[in-house]
Formats: sequence, structure tokens, C-alpha cells
Amino acid sequence: MKPRLASLLDYYYESMYPTLQALEEKRLTILSSLKKAALMLVFLGTVLFFVLSRTNVFTPLHAFLLSAMSGFLIFMFIYRHERAGYDSLFKDLVIEKMIHFLDPSLIYTKMDSIDEREYERSELFSEAYDRFSGKDLVCGEIEGVKVRFCDLHVEKKVRTKNGKEEWSDIFSGLFFVADFNKTFHAKVVVLPDVAERSLGILGTWLQGVNPSRGELIKLDHVAFEKLFVVYGDDQIESRYILSHALMERIVAFHQKIDKPLYLSFVDSKLFLALHYTKPLFEPILTRSLLEFESIKAYFELLTMITNIVTEFKLNEKLWSKR
Amino acid sequence: METFLVVAGLIFLLVVFMYNTLISKKNQVDTIYAGLDAVLKKRHDLLPNLVASVQEYMVHESITLEKITELRIKAMTHSLDSRETIALEKQLSSMLGNLMVAVENYPTLKANENFLHLQATLSEVEEQISAARRAYNQSVNDYNNAIEMFPTNFMAGLMHLERKEVFSIPKQERSSVDVKNLFQK
Repeated sequence: MKPRLASLLDYYYESMYPTLQALEEKRLTILSSLKKAALMLVFLGTVLFFVLSRTNVFTPLHAFLLSAMSGFLIFMFIYRHERAGYDSLFKDLVIEKMIHFLDPSLIYTKMDSIDEREYERSELFSEAYDRFSGKDLVCGEIEGVKVRFCDLHVEKKVRTKNGKEEWSDIFSGLFFVADFNKTFHAKVVVLPDVAERSLGILGTWLQGVNPSRGELIKLDHVAFEKLFVVYGDDQIESRYILSHALMERIVAFHQKIDKPLYLSFVDSKLFLALHYTKPLFEPILTRSLLEFESIKAYFELLTMITNIVTEFKLNEKLWSKR
Repeated sequence: METFLVVAGLIFLLVVFMYNTLISKKNQVDTIYAGLDAVLKKRHDLLPNLVASVQEYMVHESITLEKITELRIKAMTHSLDSRETIALEKQLSSMLGNLMVAVENYPTLKANENFLHLQATLSEVEEQISAARRAYNQSVNDYNNAIEMFPTNFMAGLMHLERKEVFSIPKQERSSVDVKNLFQK
């Protein structure tokens, strides 16, 4: 039976709380150092502004921008330096413990991620990328199903209208891989249906002529069709994978999570990507660790991820996978 | 003259486009039908073993077993067109559904290792048939829409294309052939 929130509460106060007190002290020390650094930098920035604006080289606006930028950059340097150790300790004392509490067989590696080949193999995002990074890799078996998931960030370099280069997200969020409960050879990609929702019939036509994704698979599930567009290379096998029951579960999962959801089925594996705008397992420096509420959010997120196996019934294997 | 040539060119392109669309939809139906036929054959191959392993236990179901064997032979030996195949497979699915419901009354059969293996295999084949049937119905639906909708209906008339029948199964029968659910009870 899976651990529940009530048992986490007991675990939190019995096993985690004593160690979290030391971490909480560190958090308060960091906050205090950052406040002091901020005050100091505001003071130094003001001095620098007056010095620069009195010279004939800079206008007051330029002097203000230069001093503010310098102050901000120095502050960001101090901020990153101060919280680096704290983040690492937080993951050891909170995230890893919580993962083991959910399932002791799962292995957590805070600095590792799913590799690029696996990301490319999923065929979820066809855009070329320039930067690939990830962390918080979890591997193991849930209900007899092999799973791997991590927090992934994939970006590309884009040129703005002003000619400047910027990093733009291709994907940021949870990337989850699991063994699927059926053996198949076709590739099926399920993407959020943006074109049909915004352009109607024209959108459907455009989806049909998209050569990079394969054949458009029109499915006989109204709610699923409204939410997703499906591409595959075999009409029959795509429907073998996406049975009515699975489409039903995907729709229910999507409604519950309410985040852009991407799925693909390749080489008898399920790839799932959930788009998050913020990092998944990073600590929030302004929240006390001694309050259960701040821990609860991480627990709920981890429970949601580990429940994917049972929500999609990946553990109910067909004959060929036994 | 130029205007006439442009209009004639556009009409020609439209005719070619409509012709190709209809042919591609017709071929899509045929391709998927071939896939459906292949999985139906898988079920036919499984049936003799299934009948052999259950008949010594299911003494009161001999009529059902005979009917299943008869339908299988008909499906394997006669060259049936798609309409006849669909009708025959509907009957076969219905008989298999009845048989699987009857299995509930034979506890010794339900514990038989060979039968358990067969029912698991049949469950998977039923999943594949269901997928093939859904794919076939979608392609038939696209094809039927194309031959009935304006303006492709004129071209379909000239090409003597006719409506095709979807592979539907009545709701009560559909649930009774859901072998996977049956055996998970």
C-alpha cells in the first residue's frame, strides 16, 4: 500500500524534523546574509551612482543603470554562492528522504538526469536544441514497472528583433519514462492540440499535412480528440496502444494535473513530459522548513509522479509482456 | 483565351485532386482491412486450441462450441468479401462472448494452466482486433464522407464508388467479448 499524507505527517515529525532544524538554521543564516548583502549593495550602488554622475563621462541615467546593474550582478553572485550548498543539503535531507519514504527501492541522484539520447528517442519535441540540462533523477521499479524521471530543461538560442541572442525554452518540467504494458513496434506521439483549438477545421487540415510527425491518427474518443493531436506510423497499432481505457485515463490525468501534457510510445516504452514553469525539487528560501505545508507540496508532486504507473495501469501487463 | 486556359487548368487540377483523394481513401480502407484480416486470422488460429481445452469440461456448452468451430471453418475456407467477413466475425465474437460467460460456471476449467494461457492470449488478440476494428471504421467513415460530400460525390459517382459498411458490434455484445475484463473479475 502506498504511503499516505497522514503517515508522511508522522514521518515528518519523527524522522525528518530533528535534521530539518539544522537546515532551517542554515536557511535563516543565508536569509540574514542576503539581507545584509542587499543593504550593503544598495549603499555601495548609491555611492557609485553619485561618484559616476559627478564625472563628465556618464549622464545621470547611465550612471544609475550602471550602478544598479553592478549591484544586481554582485547580489546574484552572492545569492547563487550562498544557496548552492543549501540546495544540495535540502535535496539530501528532504527530497531523497521523501522519495525513499514513498518507495524505498527508488534510487535518487540529485545531479544526474535522463540522457539526451533518451530525450531524442521520445520524439516528443522535434525542435533542434542548443542546451540540455537536467537534475533530480529517480530510477527504479514501481509495482514491477521500470521507471525513470527527472526535472529537465531543454533550450534553444534565438535571435530577437534587436539582434540579441536569447535562450528560449523548448521544454521545462517533468520528464518521465516507463515500460509500457503492451509490446508494440509502431511510434505514437500525443501532443497538446493547439492548432485545432485555435484554428478549427483549418487547424485539423494543417495537422494532417505535417510531414515531420508522421500520419495523423484520428481517434474515436471525443474528449481525448479535443485535448490532443496524435501522430503515428501505424493506424492499427496506434489504436492498440491508445485503447479507449487508456485515453480515458489520459483525459482524467490531464484534467487533474492541468498542465501541458506530452506523451509518446516508442519501443514498448511510455515517455511523458509535463510542462512546469518552475524547477520541481528546488527549495523555496523564503519558506520555513519547520512548517509541514512547505514539505507537503513536494510530497504531493512526488506522489503524483509515482502514481502515473497505477493511474495509467502500466502494471497490468498483457500476455506478451508477462 | 488566356482566362479560359487558366480556368480549364484549375478545373483539371481540382479533378485530379478529387480523384487522388478518393483513390487514397479507398486504398486506406483496403490496407487497414488487410490488417484487420490478419488479426482476425490470429483469432481463428487460436480457436481450435481453445475449443479443445474447454470441451472436456464444458459438457453443457457443446452447441456453442460446435457453432464456434463451424464459423471458424467458414471464415477460413470460404473466400468472403468484407461485408460477409464482418457479419461472420460479429457472430463469432458473440459466440465467444457467450462461451466466456459460461466459463464462470466451471471452476476446474478456470484453474487449468493451459486454459489460463489461452485466455490471456485471446485477451490480447481481442485487444488487437478491437484496435484494427477502430482503425477500419475510421477509414471507412473518412471514405464514406468523401464519396457523399460535395464536390467529391460527383467524382465518386463517375468512379462508381459505393459506401462501405463499418465493423460495428452491438453494445451488449461488445461488452461480452471484452475477454480481458471478464477474466479480471
